[in-house]
Amino acid sequence: MKKISASLALGVSAMLLAACAGATSVPAGPLKVGGAQVTLGRQWSDISTIMTGRPKKIRLLSIDGPMLNRLYISDGLSPGDFLVKPLAKERPTPLVRANMSVTERMEFVADSVTAMDFQRVEVSKPRPATYGGYPAVRFDLSAKTTEGLDVLGVAEAAEVGGKTYVLLYLAPAEHYYAATLSEVEAIMASAQPQG
Amino acid sequence: MSNRRRQLALALALAAVGSPALSEPRSPGLRPDPASVEAGLWSEVDKAERHVRQSAELNTDPALNAYVREVACKVAAQYCPEMRVYVLDRPFMNASMAPNGYTEVWSGLLLRASNEAELAFVIGHETSHFAENHSIERLRATKTRANVGLALQVGVAVLGVAAASRADTYDEARNIMDSTNNLIDVVYLGVIASVFRFTREQEAEADRLGLQRATAAGYASSAAAQIWREMADETVSSDFERVRKADAKLSIFDSHPLTSARILALDAQAKASSTNGEIGRERYRAAIRPHLSAWLNDDLRRRDFGETLHILDRLASTNEDLGVVNFYRGEAYRLRRKDGDLALARKAYAAAAAYPDAPVATWRELGDLASREKDAAAASAAYEAYLAKAPNAEDVWLVRDALNSLGHGV
Repeated sequence: MKKISASLALGVSAMLLAACAGATSVPAGPLKVGGAQVTLGRQWSDISTIMTGRPKKIRLLSIDGPMLNRLYISDGLSPGDFLVKPLAKERPTPLVRANMSVTERMEFVADSVTAMDFQRVEVSKPRPATYGGYPAVRFDLSAKTTEGLDVLGVAEAAEVGGKTYVLLYLAPAEHYYAATLSEVEAIMASAQPQG
Repeated sequence: MSNRRRQLALALALAAVGSPALSEPRSPGLRPDPASVEAGLWSEVDKAERHVRQSAELNTDPALNAYVREVACKVAAQYCPEMRVYVLDRPFMNASMAPNGYTEVWSGLLLRASNEAELAFVIGHETSHFAENHSIERLRATKTRANVGLALQVGVAVLGVAAASRADTYDEARNIMDSTNNLIDVVYLGVIASVFRFTREQEAEADRLGLQRATAAGYASSAAAQIWREMADETVSSDFERVRKADAKLSIFDSHPLTSARILALDAQAKASSTNGEIGRERYRAAIRPHLSAWLNDDLRRRDFGETLHILDRLASTNEDLGVVNFYRGEAYRLRRKDGDLALARKAYAAAAAYPDAPVATWRELGDLASREKDAAAASAAYEAYLAKAPNAEDVWLVRDALNSLGHGV
């Protein structure tokens, strides 16, 4: 029994440590994600290490922790790339496809949010936007955590030179979403694709 | 504590007043003695039930919940008063009844059952696990553990972590490293996995008694083998070789597959009983119809398009809901995008458009696919139809943009 408990405690501790390990501070100012670039208005934490499989083309930032606010910033995603890496071939996650329509780009982001284990993911208010001067779509998201907590989000997606660029912000509807929204909107306005 | 003292403590716990005798069905309304083994099990299952009550996946449609409960009560008979039925929108075939009466029916089962008699059999199967004390039997088989509560907790957590790391368990466990709060769900999953993991003999007994319960409630005996047969056929349709090669399972936690022997046994039992019970197809379809779109959408998110297409073929076989069914057939092909799939998607959307229940998005998708194939006339007609049917849709500007672009380069 002691052996099992000790192994279990060790395993859970290792998982939690793995989740915390590697979080680094990202200062205000320009941030490069591959060839793409955004400008942060304040200091964030880079918590990319907690992502499943740590996709190379995605950075995950947070201010107060992943369940309180999270911002996904992608480099240009090619056909076959994903926002959420699958753990097994039999449990695929949404992929970027060649020549996606604007509706399909929104669907790709919303289905990726579902693949992060959020429930009842809904897209609303699609609106024209620009990403580094290129046409983009910005839209709102609503979802729930598995425990029923209401979550809101805003995302922007654009296709530039055959690559898909995504910015995705998620936070609890109560307090946290609104608290960082203006900072996130400024980050979206600053985004530039690979030069 | 030495091993001998542990075994003695367990024996005393097993002998506690209020524990059900294992050789016969439990009495209705049974409550375990607080000192009994079963009390520890109930405590863990109570926690899982509290978790589910708050779950975002809880289906709150009163009509659907009342219908499922009505069917469950007919089959559970004397155990009905202690059943608390929760319908959960989860795209996997699963149902369960815990020792405390907490019962889950997942939308993946409701989407896959063809009629009320099939649902009744599955609930009868789960009620039989409950009535025959199968969970407590499994717990008592763990004879080397003195502190059963602790053993259960540890077992639950180990199973939960295992569930999170296994690729063939529920998606909820998939991204454990993506957010720390998922540890709670791992424990929930662990409870479910540990409570509902039965032996091969228990599964066979639940099949036999489940069919008896369903026929006693007035349902057709042929439905039992039929739903298991459908599950096996769906597995063969999977996009993934590993799934196709594995035997079909009743639930994601079921360690004992739906072998042909189980299906043959149910066929033989049905033949012997030769009852002409109810099928309840129309009534069943009417009950699930308001949820078909949402459940098919959920099923597509599993991204096993072969299995989804199999479900759609079965739903279409009764020539009902063809607008919805053909639309989701189009969605499956569009999302799968193998060679030739976009042409199949366009054909399916066009078929959907002929029926009044087609979702309005059918015309937007038709427009996008026609535009992709540089068929400007068809794209224009489809986009115009969309704008006429959904003039206030939030994406009207997108469709107008697409329509305007047809004159420039298509």
